[in-house]
Amino acid sequence: MSSQSCVHPCFGELPARPDEFARSAPAGPGFGFISSIPMDHKWGSSPRCWRGWCSAHLRRSLLLSFSVIGFDGCLGEKEGRAGTDVPNDGWCGLKLPDPSDGVQPIVGNQKNPRDFDDKLGTPPGLRTGGEMANPVPSACCVVLAAVVVVYAQRHSQQDSHIQYERVGADVTMKCGSMDWDAAVTWTANGTDIDDSHLNGSYLILKNVDLTQSGQYSCYEGSSWHLKYQTYLRVGVPPKEPVLMCRSNNYPKGFYCSWHLPSPTYIPNSFNISVIHGTREMVCEKDIFPKNRCHIRYLQLFSTVKYKVTLTVTNALGKNSTTLTFDEFAIVKPDPPESVVAKPVPNNPRRLEVSWQNPSSWPDPESFPLKFFLRYRPLILDQWQHVELSDGTSHTITDAYAGKEYIIQVAAKDNDIGTWSDWSVAVHATPWTEEPKHLTTEVQITETTSTSTSSFMPPPTTKICDKGAGVGSGAVAVCWTAGLVLAAYGVLFI
Amino acid sequence: MAAADTPSATLRHHDLCSRGIRLARKMRSDVTDLLDIYVERQGLDASISVAAVDGVPTAAVERWAEQTGTQRLLDNLAAYRAFRTLLAQMLEEQRELLGDTDAELGPALAAMLLQVSAFVYHLEELLELESRGAPAEEGSEPPAPPRLSLFEQKLRGLRVLRELAQWAVRSVRDLRQLSKHGPGSGAALGLPESQ
Repeated sequence: MSSQSCVHPCFGELPARPDEFARSAPAGPGFGFISSIPMDHKWGSSPRCWRGWCSAHLRRSLLLSFSVIGFDGCLGEKEGRAGTDVPNDGWCGLKLPDPSDGVQPIVGNQKNPRDFDDKLGTPPGLRTGGEMANPVPSACCVVLAAVVVVYAQRHSQQDSHIQYERVGADVTMKCGSMDWDAAVTWTANGTDIDDSHLNGSYLILKNVDLTQSGQYSCYEGSSWHLKYQTYLRVGVPPKEPVLMCRSNNYPKGFYCSWHLPSPTYIPNSFNISVIHGTREMVCEKDIFPKNRCHIRYLQLFSTVKYKVTLTVTNALGKNSTTLTFDEFAIVKPDPPESVVAKPVPNNPRRLEVSWQNPSSWPDPESFPLKFFLRYRPLILDQWQHVELSDGTSHTITDAYAGKEYIIQVAAKDNDIGTWSDWSVAVHATPWTEEPKHLTTEVQITETTSTSTSSFMPPPTTKICDKGAGVGSGAVAVCWTAGLVLAAYGVLFI
Repeated sequence: MAAADTPSATLRHHDLCSRGIRLARKMRSDVTDLLDIYVERQGLDASISVAAVDGVPTAAVERWAEQTGTQRLLDNLAAYRAFRTLLAQMLEEQRELLGDTDAELGPALAAMLLQVSAFVYHLEELLELESRGAPAEEGSEPPAPPRLSLFEQKLRGLRVLRELAQWAVRSVRDLRQLSKHGPGSGAALGLPESQ
């Protein structure tokens, strides 16, 4: 059997491995290869790569899936997973051919990588686990994965599908076409299910809950031939969705957005219809966020109401909600932007506030906005309000001197609709006069003390003390005495 | 056209537009109150849907942004002349029905009729300034409506007031567009993307 080596950025040169997953017996103690596919965003968020001997997993897996080795260190499934169902900390391995092709398992599924490697005799340099230093995938490993995918697609013969059940339901799974009395083994996410859940070859799950979602596989007796596999998704039917429509860009159009009040735990699809009179309008889905679409107005000033119906459907049921409104009622601009508040020089009670129209409002000249300004000092709870019919600035003239203020602005179309939310709050403090510096007395006091380091004043000399509080006349006498003493000290030095 | 371009004409144009906007806003505010009174006095459900009625001008318009100034004025004038006739009919019907016992609806209708008449005059002035001249009224009057049942009269009245409320908003927008340009331009006043 030919082999090819692969230099992997994580682990360096990998040992020889078979380059096709054929129907031949393993050549050595472990038939396998290194699964060192680094995780990328398609498979999960973690850039870890894992290695292990896939010979432990001689079970046929799903189309497009990778056989995932049973590492406890990985969250998620232990059997093959497909596409976006791979959990974020999942990882992938490489599939091996079915044992019926002549390849026998060497080591059964193990609880942790260490046992796996110990039993298998993995060389030290290739033991499983580890973080990748370089997230760049190895090209040859990726190519190998592609080969595996093709192989899996061509050779998978088993049914595999997704089964949706309600929380609390009783679920019975049949092992494909196996008779009721056939000897089978069921696994859930790679872990054997004990016989207490079996009724013959049927798997019975009573009162299922969310934790029982996962991959269920049924293997025939001792041959360990995979006979049936399904992915059970436990969830609930959708509740009535919450729908909101708003025009923040009048007169261009409006958007509707929605969400479910509680999760269903299974995939949902949403369908929205917009009717205006007898006309059905197109609601173009936004790329982001996904739960939003927008409609362009074809008419303005219409008295005919818009009727928007949102239907949410999943495998367990459907629900819908309808909104009816007229053109003017849903107009609500976005908050004003770039709010700035500045003190006014030499004015201790003024603050200058300016802002801009929201950038989403398409034509403020033709559809001008009016504004509502509110402000208060931080130390008080009561807001002051000012409504401004035009302009994007205002001077507050009754601010408390020296107090920090919080200021916000809201916007509304001059004639229709409702007020926007409040803008981001800005803080400002009115101008205050700078305190005067104290200079003369302090300097002289310091001079006196430094120049008399080698001079002891006569005991009768009065040393001035500002805290003495003896009055201005006595202070003048002290200054004179101080100067004399300083001069005396200089002479002696 | 030369007269429309003089500074005094521009000032007058701007003044007429500003006053027209204030008039339209007042009309809208008053017709909103009048609608509440009307619905209550006529025993109607405020949410009732009324189909378009012949002779009642519809405010809804496609491609509003692409209209020329002159077109806006002409559309407004035709609409408010029709509203003037319709409100007069409604007032007459109310008086026939309730006589002098109606202390609320009748006076409110009369006040609204007065405002609409004033607005018509205003629009005619603007058109004169545009040197277009207002079209003759005889040609714009709707034909006499067929005799309606009492309930049909009520529904038509509801439609009239609702459309008048929409027209008042539209007129504010139209006059603002007009005021952005001087008199006599008649230019299309469009938004960056057509509405």
